[in-house]
Amino acid sequence: MKKNDLIIIGAGPTALTAAIYTTREDIDTVLIEKGAIGGLIATTDWVDNYPGFVDGISGLDMADRFQKQAERFGAVIELDEVLGIEPIDELISVTTTSGERFAKAVLIATGSDYKKLGIPGEDTYYARGVHYCATCDGAFYRGKKLVVTGGGNSAVQEALFLTKFATHIDLLVRSTLKASDVLLHELEKNDKITVHLGVTTDEIIGDETRVHKVIGTDATTKKKVEFETDGIFVFIGLKPTAEFLRSTGIEFDSIGFIKTDENLRTKIKGVFAAGDVRSGATMQVASACGEGATAALRIREYLEGHSQQAA
Amino acid sequence: MVKDITIYTTNTCVYCVMVKKWLGSKNISYNEVNLDVNPERAQEPVDLTGQLAVPVTVVTKSDDSKEVIVGYNLAKLAPAVA
Ligand SMILES: Cc1cc2nc3c(=O)[nH]c(=O)nc-3n(C[C@H](O)[C@H](O)[C@H](O)COP(=O)(O)OP(=O)(O)OC[C@H]3O[C@@H](n4cnc5c(N)ncnc54)[C@H](O)[C@@H]3O)c2cc1C
Repeated sequence: MKKNDLIIIGAGPTALTAAIYTTREDIDTVLIEKGAIGGLIATTDWVDNYPGFVDGISGLDMADRFQKQAERFGAVIELDEVLGIEPIDELISVTTTSGERFAKAVLIATGSDYKKLGIPGEDTYYARGVHYCATCDGAFYRGKKLVVTGGGNSAVQEALFLTKFATHIDLLVRSTLKASDVLLHELEKNDKITVHLGVTTDEIIGDETRVHKVIGTDATTKKKVEFETDGIFVFIGLKPTAEFLRSTGIEFDSIGFIKTDENLRTKIKGVFAAGDVRSGATMQVASACGEGATAALRIREYLEGHSQQAA
Repeated sequence: MVKDITIYTTNTCVYCVMVKKWLGSKNISYNEVNLDVNPERAQEPVDLTGQLAVPVTVVTKSDDSKEVIVGYNLAKLAPAVA
């Protein structure tokens, strides 16, 4: 039977920080990651607001540093997907695509994932003109025109990044821009981006192989508006990655984020949740790391109690 | 038997890094075509997959048949290189 002190689901900033703390305390820790080590931040071009990096740092570089620091103390990262968890006696069973394993404690640090628009053409042209990751697919749009949809920090930041490749970007914002002042200032200075406020994104049109235009509606005039484009990048917010835990007895909020108490404990004994997947999280790397550290300390206390019980 | 593996990548694509990390963890060697360094080859993965996405991993078998995998997809990558 494969058994660890702690299994962390995910290897984003929350998980890797927790692992730095637990492995330094000699808590035998395995992280299971189905996607990118470093989590969402590894998909972003540049992080400017994480303390200690005076001039900012690339998301990829940050992810690599987090990983190396966690591994330096003995964290083991396995590339696999967790399908479910279940408490069995004093242990937690964790089912992955490669089998079942057990841990005394589990930390859910599965973060969140991009929301889709749910409009005609979105699935048809997925990866053939419809994209959700600028650092992954932006390079295919050298010298081309793009539409970016969304009005928050991610949309503005990624639109700015995409101007490295695209000749022009139409930024479609359903209501108003909600990005930070620093980003808004950058946006104002950038003459490759035209912002369209109060414009919804309704349909993606192409010729079966490529995207040619995006159709929206102007909320003020109620008229259809068309944007000739070679592709569209969608950044309309994030949804928690926790559906696979629905039937476990864990409590969720109305959006699907995991509810915990102030000690980051879920309703299942020995199962903790932290970072972007947690109800009330502030969705920043610095706070994800903070929650990872807090979770690690609470898990240490829990494991101390666990071994006393077992003794 | 696998004869040769080529991965199309870009500098900023984290899933390219993951494919390379995964192959590295299995001690499997590969060739890399970085499209930021070789932009003139950007059409090659598009022609192979019909998609505008990287990583694209091309696994050539000993009988010269090819398996093409888009993205970081272990469910497809693992059997392809086995
Ligand atoms: C485009 C963009 C730009 C951003 N820019 C900034 C910024 O400049 N500054 C800032 O502070 N924050 C930024 N953020 C937010 C930041 O990325 C997140 O707050 C942070 O990554 C959250 O960390 P996390 O570990 O909680 O979750 P995540 O980073 O989402 O990591 C969760 C990990 O869990 C894995 N996982 C999920 N389900 C499973 C499963 N079943 N089995 C195994 N693994 C699983 C996922 O693959 C993922 O790698 C940005 C986010 C985006 C999208």
